[in-house]
Amino acid sequence: MDKLTEELKTRLIEILNLTDVTPEEIDENEQLVGGELGIDSIDVLEMVVMVEKEYGVVINNKEIGEKVFSTLAALADYIRTNSPKLSS
Amino acid sequence: MTRKNVYIAGAGILSPLGTGLEATEQALRENRSGIAPLTVFSIQHPPPLPAAQVRDLPDSAFPRTHTLAIAAALQAMGDNKQAPDAVILGTTTGGILNTEQLLAEEEQNPEKYKYHGLSTVAETIAEQLHCTGKALTISTACSSGAVAISLALKMLQAGKAEWILAGGADSLCHLTYFGFHSLQLVDPKGSRPFDKNRQGMSVGEGAALLLLTTTKPKKPLGQLLGAGLSCDAYHAAAPHPEGKGAYRAMQTALDNACLTIDDIDYISLHGTGTPDNDRAESKAVRDLFPAPPSLSSIKGATGHGLAASGAIEAVVAAIAIKKGFLPANTGYSKADPELHLSPLVQPVTHSSSAALSNSFGFGGNNGCLVIGRSDSFAAKQPILQSTPLTILGSSCITGAGNTEESMGSLILGKPMGGMLDLDAISKNLSTRKIRRLKRLSRLTLSLAAAAYENSGLEHPPESVFMGTGWGALSETYDFLKKLRDTEEQFPSPIDFVGSVHNSAAGQVAIMFGATGANITASGGDYSFEQAVLAADTMIDDTSAPAFVLSADEGHAQFSPLFDPSIRAGAPLSDGGGGFCLCRKAIPGKVGLQIPFYHSGAASGAIDALVEALGGTDRLQREIGLTLIGIPAASMKMGEQQLNKFLARTTGSIPVLRYRELTGEFASASAVAAVMAVHFLETGLFPPIVASQDNGVSSLVDKKILVLGLGTTVTAMEFGLQ
Repeated sequence: MDKLTEELKTRLIEILNLTDVTPEEIDENEQLVGGELGIDSIDVLEMVVMVEKEYGVVINNKEIGEKVFSTLAALADYIRTNSPKLSS
Repeated sequence: MTRKNVYIAGAGILSPLGTGLEATEQALRENRSGIAPLTVFSIQHPPPLPAAQVRDLPDSAFPRTHTLAIAAALQAMGDNKQAPDAVILGTTTGGILNTEQLLAEEEQNPEKYKYHGLSTVAETIAEQLHCTGKALTISTACSSGAVAISLALKMLQAGKAEWILAGGADSLCHLTYFGFHSLQLVDPKGSRPFDKNRQGMSVGEGAALLLLTTTKPKKPLGQLLGAGLSCDAYHAAAPHPEGKGAYRAMQTALDNACLTIDDIDYISLHGTGTPDNDRAESKAVRDLFPAPPSLSSIKGATGHGLAASGAIEAVVAAIAIKKGFLPANTGYSKADPELHLSPLVQPVTHSSSAALSNSFGFGGNNGCLVIGRSDSFAAKQPILQSTPLTILGSSCITGAGNTEESMGSLILGKPMGGMLDLDAISKNLSTRKIRRLKRLSRLTLSLAAAAYENSGLEHPPESVFMGTGWGALSETYDFLKKLRDTEEQFPSPIDFVGSVHNSAAGQVAIMFGATGANITASGGDYSFEQAVLAADTMIDDTSAPAFVLSADEGHAQFSPLFDPSIRAGAPLSDGGGGFCLCRKAIPGKVGLQIPFYHSGAASGAIDALVEALGGTDRLQREIGLTLIGIPAASMKMGEQQLNKFLARTTGSIPVLRYRELTGEFASASAVAAVMAVHFLETGLFPPIVASQDNGVSSLVDKKILVLGLGTTVTAMEFGLQ
């Protein structure tokens, strides 16, 4: 698994306080919102803030948001493609 | 007893549309919007978003919310010189705009924060109007104003007061401006409710107060016919997608007014302009009204005045009925085919007899009001409150531990102060369900779960009455800190949602599926008593059991700054008490009454207290023990009151000062209430009570008083039935 996906799993557990989950237990290809982890719309917004702050990627459109947060792998892809911080 | 009719004797309003009834009417008739880029405070990263600000605010030494509320109160009182019996105000911001500035300056002097507390707004109005009765503060997010008016209505209908000034007030502040923005709920083009291209609200401010009375005035503005409260019990911030809670609140309000859908000529929609709210509200309206009457949301003109909005819209509905016009849904231009709703695109001349006004808030907290033309409708409904409230189950948390551990310490006369660690508080809760919740919500959920378990009820309570002196301090602190640390760029949406005072009660509703009334009172050291008053007002013989809860969290930075009873550097205490109760006499269970709630500054408060409790003879005969709570900040005043009380009862009733055991925190009186229940149910009491000169030897056939002294004087009475 790549470093960014790994990093996102750890950050997710941290910002959403998923104390009973380890990074290894998160499958990056599983449905993120409304799936096993119990992640909902407020969690998504918390992730939006984190993604903008740490990767410089702004997600302020519901349609894009739904696609980006469909899985953790999709989120990692989107950050990779759009982050000025990662490409520099 | 038959319930009384309630008239609107006067109204005061300040909104982005202007000041006073005439200016408001004029702006609405012109379909003018008051939304413009924010200027109330400067922001670090312009351009500012559209906001809804009140212009030409009078100069004042008070914080902005207080200034707005006082101005609205004076307008509403008009020529009425007599003080109202009570002031009931909905607010979510209190003095926080000032607090934000003080925190930025790293001000450490607690005196400067004295108007931070939500309760100071209602108390300041009461003081200005020389009202020595109840000054109550309701904080249920964006439905606060409507819920405050609902509570006033029920008190008046039951004859518990004759004149009440009720409404809501909020000022713009960083917390709400950046908070709603972090949730992506602000429309960058300004609010346009129900429009196909709507993108959110415009965060706003304002104040509106209604002078309500059961004595028919010569020229009433209208009549308040009914109110309905409900809770979605669905999500902390998002409305139920089918609008089920909204539907129930509207239906309950109609039932309370004894009207049918055909009697409603106009619906003042909550209509914030957020995609989710407007969709859910449309569904609820279409479900209840197959052919809806004329309807509009005025928030495209006024913006969203948060706690003020329900009161602003109640006043506008009253003006509309009285003046024969209906306001437009300002900002609306393109129909949303998904909504199947056609709000008024222009103001229209229209004669109406009754209007329904909707208000919904975070925590799924819904409040609907029915306003009518004076004397168009009359309902002869009985008031069904035949017995005192009965406690079915109770719980507490103190520094000593849960109920069993706390009561164990108490009976041995050991102190119960301090703070439990977060894991100990959360041990009866599911880790996954509380992952986003901080200290206050966890305390509250834990209290509710333990009280429910203790009650032995087969089904959980359906309504929630919550008290909290200072609200969710952890979330508020964390939100503002992150906002500052990131130069206003990356505050936490989760913290914002959790920062509202009613977030804990909303979580209780979700956990237990409690879809009935959900009221959070925030009355400083008397918050538990205010929650009991709300429960005592709302619960009747036919109601399902309810939760009454009160909790406060100790917070290292905020508690010493905000709570004047807590000194900097002193060890913190926190916790609270929880109850399941109903209105039904059950032999062997403890009954609860709250016969007195009055300003402590008023001369004669203790004489009035003794009289309200049945006089000296009755007190000496029936009261076995008095639990006294004097917050440290008002010790001198409280001691004088206590001495007077002891003199009036010739010192014959033993006294236990409960804050010496629990430590100082606003909800300590809820723990005292649990102590009273414990003493009565077990017959046990601590040695410090027995060893007094007039010591207790037995509490058999005796009642226990829990007295709150200081700036407010309160009395709750507990007795086995």
